[in-house]
Amino acid sequence: MKVVVDHNLCEGNGRCVEVAPQVFELRDDDLSYVLMDSPPQELRAKIQLATTLCPRQAIRLVED
Amino acid sequence: MAALTLETLDIINPDLYVQRGYPHEEWALLRKEAPVFRYERPSVEPFWAITKHADIVNVSRQPELFRSSQFLFVVQEEPGSPLPEEPVLRQLLNMNPPEHGEFRRVVNQRFTPRSVKQLTDQIERITTEVLDDLVGRDACDFVTEVSAKLPLAVIAEMFGIPRADWAMMFRLSNTMIGPTDPEYGTSQNITETLERARLEFFQYFNQLCEDRRKNPRDDLASVLANGTVNGEPLPPFELLSYFALLIIAGNETTRNATTGGLHALISNPAQWERLRSDPSLASKATEEIVRWTSPVIQFTRIATADTVLGGQQLRQGDVLVLFYPSAARDEEIFEQPSTFDIGRYPNPHISFGIGEHFCLGANLARLELQVMFRQLAERMEFAELAGPVQRMRSSFVGGIKHMPIRYRIRARP
Repeated sequence: MKVVVDHNLCEGNGRCVEVAPQVFELRDDDLSYVLMDSPPQELRAKIQLATTLCPRQAIRLVED
Repeated sequence: MAALTLETLDIINPDLYVQRGYPHEEWALLRKEAPVFRYERPSVEPFWAITKHADIVNVSRQPELFRSSQFLFVVQEEPGSPLPEEPVLRQLLNMNPPEHGEFRRVVNQRFTPRSVKQLTDQIERITTEVLDDLVGRDACDFVTEVSAKLPLAVIAEMFGIPRADWAMMFRLSNTMIGPTDPEYGTSQNITETLERARLEFFQYFNQLCEDRRKNPRDDLASVLANGTVNGEPLPPFELLSYFALLIIAGNETTRNATTGGLHALISNPAQWERLRSDPSLASKATEEIVRWTSPVIQFTRIATADTVLGGQQLRQGDVLVLFYPSAARDEEIFEQPSTFDIGRYPNPHISFGIGEHFCLGANLARLELQVMFRQLAERMEFAELAGPVQRMRSSFVGGIKHMPIRYRIRARP
């Protein structure tokens, strides 16, 4: 699985970093960046929660 | 009252909102029996009433399939008061991708959590001053003397608007949001009311823009006046509409959440005591107040293709109306949704919307509410209603115009 943050939508609300700090990082440009190319399965639930909680619905989980 | 039925219930008539506040019983019936409901009544264009949390999320997530409509909300037609034929403003709320994102990026850096956090000291100071003005008395109109003052001062200072003009911003915001209310409207004719208010707003903002083009400062007015979309300055109508949008949105909704929040605390004394004994609950209380009050009642969408939603066949061109306060009481999402619980967690309300059009000012509103309710918890020892609340005549924004209270407040701690 792959995680994509759409930077046209992201506004740095940081919900993703709260629920999955291993996967997301908020940088100085107020955008969230994905830290892993292919996150392990055990993080799936947290990533899914991040996609749900994102106020801008900017995160997508793409299956391989 | 006669038993509610789907055929006769009313969720649009603005007089009902004045008399009873939000029609929660009607929305509960719709959620239970017809969550995607074809609403056909005289004096209002037919629409699909969307009342479930999941359906509103689903629609909001697909801004291409469900486009924002030119008219932000549906309104009941009244005799002698034709509805505007053209949208009064052209701004983020009636724009669509990709244009919406391009325009939003002109200012969104000013509203990120990081930027808003820098306003903390300013918001603390204004709040303290607002509450200081209550000291030495025991009664006030909480709306005009407290809840209206903080968001007005914050947004006006962000724009760099001089204090002498704040009253005008307040008045015009009220008229633009509540043109159907007799206290805020300036004519029986809603179109005339809106056009007059728009003209006054536009003349003022036009001067402000000219000034900030010559003398740019570190304020929102300068960001807008000198902003670009795809390398070009914003066209005049869109530019002036943008000013109006931010001033109006910055004023109205936070005010109503603040008023509704204190009203809920007065009506639930145990929650009020809980907050007073632990003011650090102010952040969770803020989420609950936003859920409970849901100041925006409705926004509309237009289906761009035939599609199925909640088991109903929608046709291209159909109007959908998303009822946010109904989502905020959805039994499938919230335990005991009709209980006001300032410690509620998690609290996945969507009263700021979600997705493409998620409230640009959400972080600002949250901070204002957190500071206000923390300071109230620290200083206001007692409050009760001193008369009935007066609600705005509108089925678009749930406004409280006046809320007389008796209170006891401490001098600055």
